[in-house]
Amino acid sequence: MSFRVLLAAPARKRAWYELGYALVSLPIAAVGLIYLLVMLLTAATAATFVGVPMLAAGVLGARALGAVDRGVARALLGVEVPVPPPFRPRPGLIGWLGSALGDGAGWRAAAYRLGKPPVAVLASGTAASLWGSGLVLLSCPIWWRIPALAHLPVNTWPRALLAGTAGAVLLLLAPWTVRAALLPDRLLVRALLGPTRASARIHELETTRAQAVDDSATALRRIERDLHDGTQARLVALAMSLSMLKDELAETGRDDRLDQARVLVDLAHRNAREALVELRDLVRGIHPAVLDEGLETALATLAATSSLPVDLQVDLPRRPSAAVETIAYFCTAELLANAARHGGARQAGIELRTRNRLLRLRVRDDGAGGAAMGLGTGLRGLADRVRVVDGTLKISSPPGGPTVVTVELPLHP
Amino acid sequence: MRIVIAEDAAVIRDGLSLLLTTRGHQVAAAVGDATALCAAVAEYGPDVAVVDVRMPPTHTDEGLRAAIRLRRDHPGLGVLVFSQHIETRYAAQLLAEGSHGVGYLLKDRVSEVGDFLNTLVRIAAGETVLDPEVVTQIMGASRRTEALRTLTARERAVLAMMAEGRSNSAIATALSLSYGSVEKHVTQIFTKLGLPPSQSDHRRVLAVLRYLES
Repeated sequence: MSFRVLLAAPARKRAWYELGYALVSLPIAAVGLIYLLVMLLTAATAATFVGVPMLAAGVLGARALGAVDRGVARALLGVEVPVPPPFRPRPGLIGWLGSALGDGAGWRAAAYRLGKPPVAVLASGTAASLWGSGLVLLSCPIWWRIPALAHLPVNTWPRALLAGTAGAVLLLLAPWTVRAALLPDRLLVRALLGPTRASARIHELETTRAQAVDDSATALRRIERDLHDGTQARLVALAMSLSMLKDELAETGRDDRLDQARVLVDLAHRNAREALVELRDLVRGIHPAVLDEGLETALATLAATSSLPVDLQVDLPRRPSAAVETIAYFCTAELLANAARHGGARQAGIELRTRNRLLRLRVRDDGAGGAAMGLGTGLRGLADRVRVVDGTLKISSPPGGPTVVTVELPLHP
Repeated sequence: MRIVIAEDAAVIRDGLSLLLTTRGHQVAAAVGDATALCAAVAEYGPDVAVVDVRMPPTHTDEGLRAAIRLRRDHPGLGVLVFSQHIETRYAAQLLAEGSHGVGYLLKDRVSEVGDFLNTLVRIAAGETVLDPEVVTQIMGASRRTEALRTLTARERAVLAMMAEGRSNSAIATALSLSYGSVEKHVTQIFTKLGLPPSQSDHRRVLAVLRYLES
């Protein structure tokens, strides 16, 4: 560190920001401590009916205060702490309470409230005493002759100049000392207001998985489009040419070689036609084209082509992501097929609703019931597929029916 | 016949043009999207339009919507709608506008050029032609399973062909039956299902479809 840097330190913006941070730390710490005390008092009454929700709200409030702290630390200290994963409550009041009370980021923010007062006292004390005494001493040559202050030991010019020099030295040292005194607070912010390493990793994995699922849905859609526009069209044209060629050959005179050619063309024509049928089934399995028109239309088509009468109820204000639409479609198709195949059902119902950020698909039938995971019903496969986006699949199928399968999927994983 | 083709895959468009011209028909225009199709029909006044369901810009059902519009704006124009896969919903939408001179076929069917040309002539003559796949799907989804069960296998085959829009003589040829026995089967079917007897082929299609879908 050069001498110039040392001299210029008090005049730099960074020094003022750090001073500012040290000074506001104290009121922030005080408010935070009061908050924490109130929260803990509430916790003491947690056994009562109101206590639990109050404590849950307290944890979430601590999380919000933590965000303020993180902002202040970023603005004034330049501490870049990643934001912890957002609060994602489970559905229902109980789910919300459970999620809030178990919110790690909230509790860690509350712990920061507890750790803040000592580090704030250290930082603001250091800042106030160094900057304060530095300024007082530096200005000594100006005020030492004020009569009211005659009792102070600074009562001669040399002493006043000495004090002034000491003040200047203190002011030069102040920025460095304050920065050192802020170190515990920085560490605390990093440790308690960011995501833990595990939660950061989980968040990253969730993000990349959602991306992978979406990518594969897009890729399948593209493959379907490519097959449709390229391969299928070319095969149709090929089969058409072969068919024309067959007709041409039929017109020419009979000859051994020509007979041979007829047989070959016939074979090639049959192969092209069979390839077309196989390709059509394949394309349908990859991405049903009707899904392009939205999940509601796609489900209506499924309902219309089912051999059971199907009552369809859809309430879908906005479109889920492509991957979720595809999963919901294939689940419905499989469940309707199951209902028609196994249960001896007379009618079926599809219900599609959204609640919070969830898509809920319910397929029921009035068949014999007794459906369970892993009885050759393909339900295991569906459950696996649903889990890819953190969805759930629940089966209710008492002997004698009815069978109700509920699939819950996040709208946008 | 004067024909307008709308199909976005160039290989199929060119193949169809070649096929139709070599068989003595006149291809007035071969276009790649719905807007150009409507313009070409207005300009050339063809006997039949062959339309792909999925075309640019959205690649969903613009061909179908154009076909419905054409049928409304140009009565007497035969419209054959082509699709890579069958949606019974599309068939229903096409027939909702009336059943005169309309067809809905899987694209694969052009690989039997003889049958395909035959179909086109029938549509130009005002008949209704549905792909066997449509009929299979509708029969599979029909709630009239009890009544359908009373039909013999032969009668079910005849019913399927009626729903496709085939005439009695065509059914006789396809199933290697005499014309008389086809007539007998048809009467049997109408009696068993309680349908009002109908002579005209395309009215018969509608009666059968309405019965299966109700």
